[in-house]
Amino acid sequence: MGVTSVLARWASTSVHVLIVEVPGWDESRMLLEAELDRRGWRVALSPADADLLAVCGMPGEELRAAFDLLWNQLPGPRTRVSVTTSVALSALLDAAVAHLVDDSRQRKDARARSRPAAAEDQRPDAGEHDGMDHGGMDHGGMDHGGVDHGGMDMPMPGGIPLAGGGDDRDGLEMDVLNVPLGPVLPHWPAGLVVDCVLQGDVIVSAKARVLEAASAPKDEPTTAVTDVAGRRIIRLCDDASNLLALAGWQTAAQNARRLRDDALRGADIADHAAALDRLRRRVERSVLLRWSLKGISLKGISLNEISLKGISLDEIPLKEIGLAAGARANTGNATPPDQATVDIRHRLIGWLREAAVLAGPSSGTQPPAASDSDRARQAQLALAALPELLRGTDLGTARLLIAGLGLDTAALAQTHEQTHE
Amino acid sequence: MSEPIVQVSPAWAVLAPLALLLFALAGAGLNGALVARSVGRPGRSGASAPLAQVARLLRQRRQVTVAADVLLWRIGAGGLVVVAILKILVIPLGPWTLADLDVGVVWFNTMDVMIWALFWLIGWGANSAHSLVGGYRFLSLAVSYELPLMFALITPAVAARSLRVGDVVAAQHDLWFVIWMPVAFVIFCGSVIAFSSWGPFATAVGRDIAGGFLTDVSGVDRLLILTGRYAVLTAGAAFAVPLFLGGGGGALLPDWLWSIVKTALVLAAFVAIRHRVPTIRPDRFAEVAWIIVLPAALLQVLVVAIIVVGS
Repeated sequence: MGVTSVLARWASTSVHVLIVEVPGWDESRMLLEAELDRRGWRVALSPADADLLAVCGMPGEELRAAFDLLWNQLPGPRTRVSVTTSVALSALLDAAVAHLVDDSRQRKDARARSRPAAAEDQRPDAGEHDGMDHGGMDHGGMDHGGVDHGGMDMPMPGGIPLAGGGDDRDGLEMDVLNVPLGPVLPHWPAGLVVDCVLQGDVIVSAKARVLEAASAPKDEPTTAVTDVAGRRIIRLCDDASNLLALAGWQTAAQNARRLRDDALRGADIADHAAALDRLRRRVERSVLLRWSLKGISLKGISLNEISLKGISLDEIPLKEIGLAAGARANTGNATPPDQATVDIRHRLIGWLREAAVLAGPSSGTQPPAASDSDRARQAQLALAALPELLRGTDLGTARLLIAGLGLDTAALAQTHEQTHE
Repeated sequence: MSEPIVQVSPAWAVLAPLALLLFALAGAGLNGALVARSVGRPGRSGASAPLAQVARLLRQRRQVTVAADVLLWRIGAGGLVVVAILKILVIPLGPWTLADLDVGVVWFNTMDVMIWALFWLIGWGANSAHSLVGGYRFLSLAVSYELPLMFALITPAVAARSLRVGDVVAAQHDLWFVIWMPVAFVIFCGSVIAFSSWGPFATAVGRDIAGGFLTDVSGVDRLLILTGRYAVLTAGAAFAVPLFLGGGGGALLPDWLWSIVKTALVLAAFVAIRHRVPTIRPDRFAEVAWIIVLPAALLQVLVVAIIVVGS
């Protein structure tokens, strides 16, 4: 068995991890991502590429069901871990590796999965698919989350109904597919599900909702950062990193993520501001990015309401930003007109600029912390604006728009909790 | 220097895939090192990442999606490496070539059109939305790069008055083609990166569609596709050498070594570019490809043709 154990040992040096995040547990996710970087492990983009399923947080019922479905789609050898703020990450991941390289255990797992082969093939999917209104698509796993139950009963290949037809935006008949995006996709707001009707890769219509967490993280400090400004810098870097990754600029995204991780560790502040500013300039200078993101903008969104995340800050002189952002959040009567159009690229630059200012030595003042109800209201508005925003866009653009919205799903999951309990 | 190209015994064909895979592995290693550096780890630790990846994927069971078109899916996955090997048949290593076809340039082009089908089949086979969108994206990219690529390939052939790769190399005895047909060279390089779905042209496997046509591929299928991508990238880099960079010509070193050195440099540049620039959206690129790149390619052919006829 020399060969297999050598293979296993080699394979375990670069574990691919599918990270699934429960709303409100983003810090667990960030800490996990930082640890993966440290180990040279990779984040998987889909369950088919994953060895390890890492659930960050305590999922509610619907999310748990979605995660279980994803777990079924890990090819194996596979293992799963639950990451919550209080656990020791390093030990957890070491245990996961031990599980992954344990050949006999993995074989048992594989046998257990393949035994009811016939039933398994039709398995959760057949049932699920009937109900899922899937239009014949997607086992990507990405889309399994919570799903509409359309209940089609005709006999179908593989348990999947054939796609229906419909006129597309040019008046040509084209297949119509119902594809839920989320709740697990790379660089996707935690718990968000957007039920899309697709023609090709164009979204004809969409409905958005957020799946709940079972519980929010306890209020114990999980990182070195506890002040409002520090947390905001982390969040801004994370948002910027996601947007850059979706725009296909992996190096810049990685750069933003490292800056985020530095902030997470509580790195030297002055240094940090300079680095953030360098990244901002680099993003600003990129002709290719400017060209790529041209014309992609958040239209018809009430800016005042979601300005907390830094919309249109680039119009404001640098030194005033900390103040202006706060003032705007407080009074809600800032200059831009209610139904303005915000360019995604400007928003990205605005985030980086705000982060740099907050990290700067001169900033001093702390931005006011938004109350939970404020955050929830803003997130609610952003969520409500999503369907209109996404109508008629292609998948790539839609992903950029959603990332540009900087949706705070944690705030939403919390209100749900309150209303439900 | 610059001996005439001779066709060697077909028995050597066994070594060609081996050399190709070694180059591909080196390319993947360089990519791994660059990735490691970007996350703040020593580059050396990343250089061995491709080996870990191979081990990982060999160990992995392959997952099949519901109602997948398994036959077409596997053809797509397995075909890439085959196409890459077929491509390098006409590429001379110094003075030796496996097949000095009199239509060598066209042969390369034919093989690269096969990539259209293969990537599309991979996207189609999985029966999943993101995968299919990935396939579509590749096709829309292909519609943009293919014509400019054809004209870029034809340009050196026009200058050499032959489609035989050996003749193209011989015609660069005095002056490398890259010097007086830089536009064609740049277009060729861009197209190689595009048909490998790599770097700025990697939208078909983009993160915004969860890995595109790679979304649902696992195990050995994934290994074949990833290897195939590096292999076609390598084949493209290797073909730039006889086409634009004077083949094995160069001072001091023997011809075969020059071929290897030049190929390695071009491949390294291709791999590195991925870590410099953002990806280009296929819909945006289509506009530029048809309005600027294609006319530029035509103009390049025209200029070269006039020079050749005039001399």
